[in-house]
Amino acid sequence: MGRIAITGASSFLGERFLRRLIRDGHGDDIVVIDVAEPSISFGSIHFRKVDLTQPAADQAMLDLLKADDIETLVHMAFFTSPRRDTTNAHELESIGTLAVLAAAAAANVKNFVMRSFTFVYGARAENPALIREGTPLPPRAPLGWLRDKVEAEEHAASFAKRYPEMAVRVLRFAPLLGPYVRTFYTRILDRRLVPTLMGYDPLLQLLHPDDAEEALVRATFSDARGAFNITPRSVLPLATGIHLSGKVPAPVPHLVAYLAVDALYAAGIVEAPSGFIDYVRYPCVADGEKAKRGLDFVAKYSSREALDSYIAYRHPARETADAEPGTENVAEEVAADAAEGRR
Amino acid sequence: MSATPKAKVLPFETRATRAARSRRGKSAEAQEKVDLRKKIEELEAKLRSVESSTRVPEGLVIELTRFFAQGVGTLSWDRVARLLSAGHFAWHSEETDEFGYDPKFTETIRPFLEFMYTVWWRVETTGIERVPGSGPTLVVANHSGVLPWDGPMINVALRHEHPARRHCRMLALDMFALLPFLAPLLSRSGAIRANPENAIRILERGELVGVFPEGVKGVGKAFKNRYKLARFGRGGFVRIALKTGATIVPTAVVGAEEIHPNLAQANFIGRPFGLPYFPLTPTFPWLGLFGTIPFPTKWSIDFGEPLDLSRYPKEAADDPILVNRLSEQVRQQIQTIIDGRLARRRSVWFG
Repeated sequence: MGRIAITGASSFLGERFLRRLIRDGHGDDIVVIDVAEPSISFGSIHFRKVDLTQPAADQAMLDLLKADDIETLVHMAFFTSPRRDTTNAHELESIGTLAVLAAAAAANVKNFVMRSFTFVYGARAENPALIREGTPLPPRAPLGWLRDKVEAEEHAASFAKRYPEMAVRVLRFAPLLGPYVRTFYTRILDRRLVPTLMGYDPLLQLLHPDDAEEALVRATFSDARGAFNITPRSVLPLATGIHLSGKVPAPVPHLVAYLAVDALYAAGIVEAPSGFIDYVRYPCVADGEKAKRGLDFVAKYSSREALDSYIAYRHPARETADAEPGTENVAEEVAADAAEGRR
Repeated sequence: MSATPKAKVLPFETRATRAARSRRGKSAEAQEKVDLRKKIEELEAKLRSVESSTRVPEGLVIELTRFFAQGVGTLSWDRVARLLSAGHFAWHSEETDEFGYDPKFTETIRPFLEFMYTVWWRVETTGIERVPGSGPTLVVANHSGVLPWDGPMINVALRHEHPARRHCRMLALDMFALLPFLAPLLSRSGAIRANPENAIRILERGELVGVFPEGVKGVGKAFKNRYKLARFGRGGFVRIALKTGATIVPTAVVGAEEIHPNLAQANFIGRPFGLPYFPLTPTFPWLGLFGTIPFPTKWSIDFGEPLDLSRYPKEAADDPILVNRLSEQVRQQIQTIIDGRLARRRSVWFG
């Protein structure tokens, strides 16, 4: 096995992936490419500084890919939560991916593994119940966040066609949920009152980080080609999820919701623009069959188990609070303190 | 002992007649057994429906009791959340299949649908025996009524009158998947969005799928066009059946056209809400929500002669001429059943 270069290793999934590779004994073969050295020490791994948003990023990438004799490039430099600075996000995700792809192709990298999201299919009423990988991605996604990711996917697909000697694998991960996952949607779920859309209850897929990590490792050491949906074992209706996690749903009529969220986003109160509301309105559920065949990956956790693990992590005192109603506030405070400390 | 006169009677009991009698007895016994089994099945079904209608949501009762016993003074989010959660799971399952079908929720609304079936529309179902008891089956029906009541009624017919108690997965129009409240209701009760991928997936599992090929043109058709079948899409349902080897059962629903007489369209009102049509009926929108109460017409659901497509190869699905011919054949068959029914029908309300 040749050397592995990783971009975006300081992301949540990237860090887990890195730890896993080191644990599996690949520590000496890893090159981490990032703007800043990872805050956590990973032992013997090599660090190379490249800023993908810079105009000459492709040349810098090419030089180091050649110098380090990289065989596999795992590209994970994507934002999981929407950014206020959409220009920077576009430079990194769309243009940055283009630079990484160009460098990888020029350096004769054998395997190119890219992280993507099932979000790229978009939430639409006319989606099939289980979206397959061949489904065309929405050409003009309403969200900048989404558009950049779709563009990155398009770049990857066109390079896969132009450079058949480079095996391009794109992993479309279902939304992650589990211990230590912090994204814009987990911060909404952390509230006691979880806003939902009145009269809508779409099915969700929630992927446990353990499964995501496993899929990433399998894809890295595979020789399959193409896009793969990485999905949990089953689906979960939104309302069921909210009630299972002991939250109070706050249904908002959709005619109001879009305007209100846009206003609140403009005012800097909410984190995500109104385009994301579609994901709690219409289904965006992906079919994991191809990953089973191509990557031999089957998720260990169901969506519900992923949710349960997240709730157990955020509210560790809930079980005891159930038993003794008087102690629940104290338990909540302890849990909140513990969470603060961890951050 | 003079046995002569008695001996004269004996010929009645020859070996042959005795055998015949015992045979008759056996068949009568077998018949009785079948009858009894049927009766037991009927009683069991009745018991099940009674049980389901009187089932007390224990979790909810416990939570309600606890909620009020603890008083309002110590009201907390957690208590509210627990109560709401108990309320939700009193009528919903914790898991669904990948299409969102929720068996517990379906059981919950079943008594209501049965009421609509037996009391409100007094549905008369014929030809149920033509629906195969197992294997991929496609029930193809005419669509009408502005609100898609014909779907659940076909479902009730198959669930209650068919010996195999088949559960019908209805293909719902995208527009119904768009509508608030109706969308989750449909998916929880087992409907799936009308999309060839979805339908093939279900049929390949050997299940029964219900489809209304007329689509929006059918369910939203003007009252003056009632019982005139619209074009059957582009024959997608035939392609699906050819690909999966499903049996097509043409089905005619009569009575549903009059539940919401669609006198005029005011589509400009519906457009901002993403609706393809906005009906004006004698009661809607004038009476508000009351306008959505359907008229209690007399319904009939007739299952026609099934169309077995197994003699065609799978590749036949790519032959547009054949697909269209079969599609047209099914449409004609349904139209003929409808016309027959209408000719015999004397009253919209009493049949």
